[in-house]
Amino acid sequence: MRLTRHPILEFDRGREIEFEFEFDGRRLLGFEGESIAAALHANDIRVFRESVRRKRPRGFFCAIGRCSSCLMTVDGIPNIMTCVTPLREGMRVETQRGKGTIPLADLSSAGSPPPEPRRDSDDGATIPLAIVGMGPAGLSAAAYAGRMGVETVVIDENLVPGGQLIKQTHMFFGSREHYAQIRGVDIGDRLIANLESLPVKLMLGTTVLGLYPDRTLSLLAGTRHMQLKADAVILATGASENMLAFENCDLPGVYGAGAVQTLMNVHGVVPGKRVLMVGAGNIGLIVAYQLLQAGVDVAAVIDAAPEIGGYHVHAAKIRRAGVPILISHTILRVTGPDRVESAEICRVDDHWQPVPGSERKLPVDAVCLAVGLTPNCELAFQMGCRQTYMSELGGPVAVHGPDLETSIPGVFIAGDASGVEEASTAMIEGRLAGLAAAEWLGAESDTDELARLRDEAADSLKTLRAGPFGAKAREGKEKMLSSMNEDKAGTQ
Amino acid sequence: MNHRRDGILRNEELKHHLPPLTRLSAGPVVVIECVEDIPCNPCVQACPRDAIVIEGDINNTPTVDYDKCNGCGLCISACPGLAIFVVDASRADGLGTVTLPYEYLPLPKKDEIVSAIDREGNIVSDALVTRVVDSKALDRTPLVSIEVPQQYVMIVRHFRCKDGRD
Amino acid sequence: MKDDVIICRCEDITYGEIVEAIDSGLTTLDELKRVLRTGMGPCQGRTCSRLISRIIVERVGGEVADMKTLLDRPPTMPVEIGILAGEGNEE
Repeated sequence: MRLTRHPILEFDRGREIEFEFEFDGRRLLGFEGESIAAALHANDIRVFRESVRRKRPRGFFCAIGRCSSCLMTVDGIPNIMTCVTPLREGMRVETQRGKGTIPLADLSSAGSPPPEPRRDSDDGATIPLAIVGMGPAGLSAAAYAGRMGVETVVIDENLVPGGQLIKQTHMFFGSREHYAQIRGVDIGDRLIANLESLPVKLMLGTTVLGLYPDRTLSLLAGTRHMQLKADAVILATGASENMLAFENCDLPGVYGAGAVQTLMNVHGVVPGKRVLMVGAGNIGLIVAYQLLQAGVDVAAVIDAAPEIGGYHVHAAKIRRAGVPILISHTILRVTGPDRVESAEICRVDDHWQPVPGSERKLPVDAVCLAVGLTPNCELAFQMGCRQTYMSELGGPVAVHGPDLETSIPGVFIAGDASGVEEASTAMIEGRLAGLAAAEWLGAESDTDELARLRDEAADSLKTLRAGPFGAKAREGKEKMLSSMNEDKAGTQ
Repeated sequence: MNHRRDGILRNEELKHHLPPLTRLSAGPVVVIECVEDIPCNPCVQACPRDAIVIEGDINNTPTVDYDKCNGCGLCISACPGLAIFVVDASRADGLGTVTLPYEYLPLPKKDEIVSAIDREGNIVSDALVTRVVDSKALDRTPLVSIEVPQQYVMIVRHFRCKDGRD
Repeated sequence: MKDDVIICRCEDITYGEIVEAIDSGLTTLDELKRVLRTGMGPCQGRTCSRLISRIIVERVGGEVADMKTLLDRPPTMPVEIGILAGEGNEE
């Protein structure tokens, strides 16, 4: 179902167009430029493919082109990630069975020399600073590096800047410098406005395929493949959602929380009529509230932990709207022939084991998983940055110090990619990384100003992490620092 | 801290965050249901009378000078946690009002009868909508004032339109 | 957990298959990837690696923190070989 009215958002939909869906040769309506997956969802189509070995139904799941659930055959080409592929008029979308069949190539021109690839003027160019990721950390890094006069290129695979900010309907916490009281969806615009008249270039719709030890970035923009070499790199690549395993967890109707936000707050398509939210951290609580705002019923928010993990104020909002929050509860299974029709939950004991006899079946048509995030460090690891596992920061991270520099000089990491936290801390980390990169590059601007801005940002970060909700990140970063110092002492 | 188990604030958890009874009966006054140390301070800046203070660290919870507060409600839509309410229990006719932030559709209209709801999501009474403000300055967090039996002003924190929607 | 729970959705590998492989002596993510293909599909282990790490710890002990992660290699997403060769750069 498409949202026509929303208390916070307005949906700027493109032109309404027709496309063809193979299942019964139906012609369906969608909006030009929205993802194929969103258009199918809006037409109440949940099964997108049949899995490779067991022929299980699969549908929309991650919404960011990171999994294999939504692969379909589009215009005869199999394995198209429909969650990130824009819909175009007249497209022919088919359910994919197994691994798909690649159409035979036209070999009539085989043997003749291949045409000379076109080279863009910026292909192969060297730039001072490349920032990967246009979320809160990346855009803040660009603003501060730019302010120091560093020529910067910011790269993001999405078509709009802002990262996860574009899906956040709630007002942010913090103080004025952290854009408190402003809705996440509006903060991205402000961060972009900060870049005006700075030497910063944005490359949207561009995926970094690889990052090599000599700081060469291999880029893919549409079907164009090119390279860029940077003197310094800031990785602001965010985090990925964790998965939870339970019976039928791959059934269409089980979604990641980020996917639900994308579907609902970007495309204006609701994920179902009645949803079970798994995870009572801030993301679970916030997305539950967003579901209510979109007119979707939330059956319950459950969490295996013995306490609510997120802010009380977020819990209070959904609680007073009548949504039960069940701690020490887990999901056992979802059932349904080819899409979720119900979910079974139960209590867990002190050892996280299901309590027999406490099972309960909830009639829901969607389950949303908000069970934590893992930092996206793969580019850092590809390049050879030293890695360590910090459960406080969300898993394996690239080792970095307070200036956000990794074990490779001139390569920095900031925001959720350096440890899962809040958007406010991501913005401040971005500033620090931008300044550190500028310093490393020997920016010719005012060094006193740089030092002042750095101290200001460091203080701000300390304040944001001072409370009980900042304790985990604070401890994680401290632990990493002490292990770094030990390593240094050991090698001297 | 029971609220960490079910998301509901009880009086014993709230008691250091409430206006004194004498102040409650003197006219409209703010109730800030913000009991956790989170880094946040827009409420301080929103108050034109400097009645809201966060001492020291931004992570501390706000304290209110209830003598300075006149219940104007400018802080309500400034709170990112939607945790600020203005209550009026000063009337002699046994009725009171609760002004609360309401980010749902449909927005009720003045003089509409709605169901008043407590912190647990239970309907406690009918309520009359006495004022709806949805100005640009409120940035999509409209304020709705509802009239409830006076004994419920510290209980009612939400409402539902009679057509069944939140 | 039931044996037929899908852990790796790209390659359709179940909990039971993973446990069987671990019990046969394959106790790292890389070994399991080579034998079962978990982490070889389009998602490159992004969805299942953490789950599999926990299953390994559950079967043979140790800490998730000490487990070697899958080697990260370019490309970060599936790309047609022709595009890497510059085919898409033609006018």
